[in-house]
Amino acid sequence: MKGKYTMIISIGFAALILTAIMFTQFKTVEQTDITAIETMRETELRTELADWKTKYDELEEKLNETESKINEYQAEVSNSKESSNVLDKELAETNMYLGYTKLQGEGIEITLSDNEYKTIDRWDLLQLVNELKLAGAEAISINNERIVSTTEIATVGVQFILINGNRIPAPFTVKAIGDKKYLESAITIKGGYIDEMKVNEKTVDYTVKDLIEIPAYSGKINFEYAEENK
Amino acid sequence: MKEKNIAIMLGIMCFLLTVGICIQMKTVTSNAFRMGKTYAENELRNNVLKWKEKYDVAYEKLETKEARLEKLRETASTSSESSENIKSELEKNNMALGYTEVIGKGITITLKDGENVSNRLDVASSLVHDADLIEVINALKNAGAEAISINGERIVDKTAITCAGNIIKINNEKVGVPFVINAIGLPEKLYGALKMQGGYISKLKEDGVFVEITQQNSITIPKYNGVYKFQYAKVAE
Repeated sequence: MKGKYTMIISIGFAALILTAIMFTQFKTVEQTDITAIETMRETELRTELADWKTKYDELEEKLNETESKINEYQAEVSNSKESSNVLDKELAETNMYLGYTKLQGEGIEITLSDNEYKTIDRWDLLQLVNELKLAGAEAISINNERIVSTTEIATVGVQFILINGNRIPAPFTVKAIGDKKYLESAITIKGGYIDEMKVNEKTVDYTVKDLIEIPAYSGKINFEYAEENK
Repeated sequence: MKEKNIAIMLGIMCFLLTVGICIQMKTVTSNAFRMGKTYAENELRNNVLKWKEKYDVAYEKLETKEARLEKLRETASTSSESSENIKSELEKNNMALGYTEVIGKGITITLKDGENVSNRLDVASSLVHDADLIEVINALKNAGAEAISINGERIVDKTAITCAGNIIKINNEKVGVPFVINAIGLPEKLYGALKMQGGYISKLKEDGVFVEITQQNSITIPKYNGVYKFQYAKVAE
């Protein structure tokens, strides 16, 4: 009789302890489940960190730029005649970024031509422009049509590509101003643009140049439907 | 007999509890392994948060400065009529560069990876790729879109769209499915151009990608947060 009670009590006690441990465990597991950043792995964190650093650097640059503009205005405001000079300067700068001026600088010139097997299509050009932008190209043109923010590269019929509303026939000469070494490696990287074109049996050639001229955009970017949201 | 029953029952209970603990232990161990690794990761994590914080602070500062600059421009341009003209041209340029938030009528396109693709031979084609986004943007530009954004990222002249592994980046920002593309322009024209027979959208649909296009009376497209800077290009005389 006495043995039976001892057994039941001791087993019950053991069960109680086990249950207690289990709950503790549950709690621990719950605590380790936290937010997104917390669960990121080392490599992800490294890229995330690099991303934020770049973003911060860019922002800081913009901040410095804005500050120096403010200073210029303030300096010029004292003699009000001069103040429009700063405006002129700002306008000239934005005109340059929008593609309204002819530009020159080092860069790369790529020629895409039709061969007996394959013709150059819209995607070959779209992809190249995207690669060049990714590699930091500051200005791009295709057969002297300047690529601006509203530029389309569309297919018309079988023979022409439409760029900025103009029909452009092959061969296509794509010019880009930027770090020439960087632009070159961006398209010649193993498995990159040039490789892919060759695999597709398309004809592509390039030359790195110290001086490239890119014409201004002949149109003007207009807004009919969009307005500033103040 | 009764004693035996109790013993067996308690035995089973003990067994279940032990199994439970073992499972828990395993989970915790794998977590603990991660925790061990996290020691180095913690440092990184703190750094990420620190830089994000720095960015946020700088961003706020920039907003105040920009407002101040705007006021100064205002004062500068009130002095004469010609400078008033320059100012309005500058405003238009800044809008074209994507430096301002814009509003207007247009369309919204939603692209999602296709579902029910088990009966397809090529599952990859029913996913949305960087190439698809480049093509859709190009089609929108061709239809006269004045401002475009994808998942809140403003598409400007220097915008590149890339794919690393399964992550798509626009303006160096990660974006994921569903892709919501907003475009300001004449809704009927944008809509018609995209719906066109043999157009890129119809190709996407054939590939099994989920596509939804709606015309909108008013959409807001955020401003571009990057900077324009030329290091190699100079104005040619």
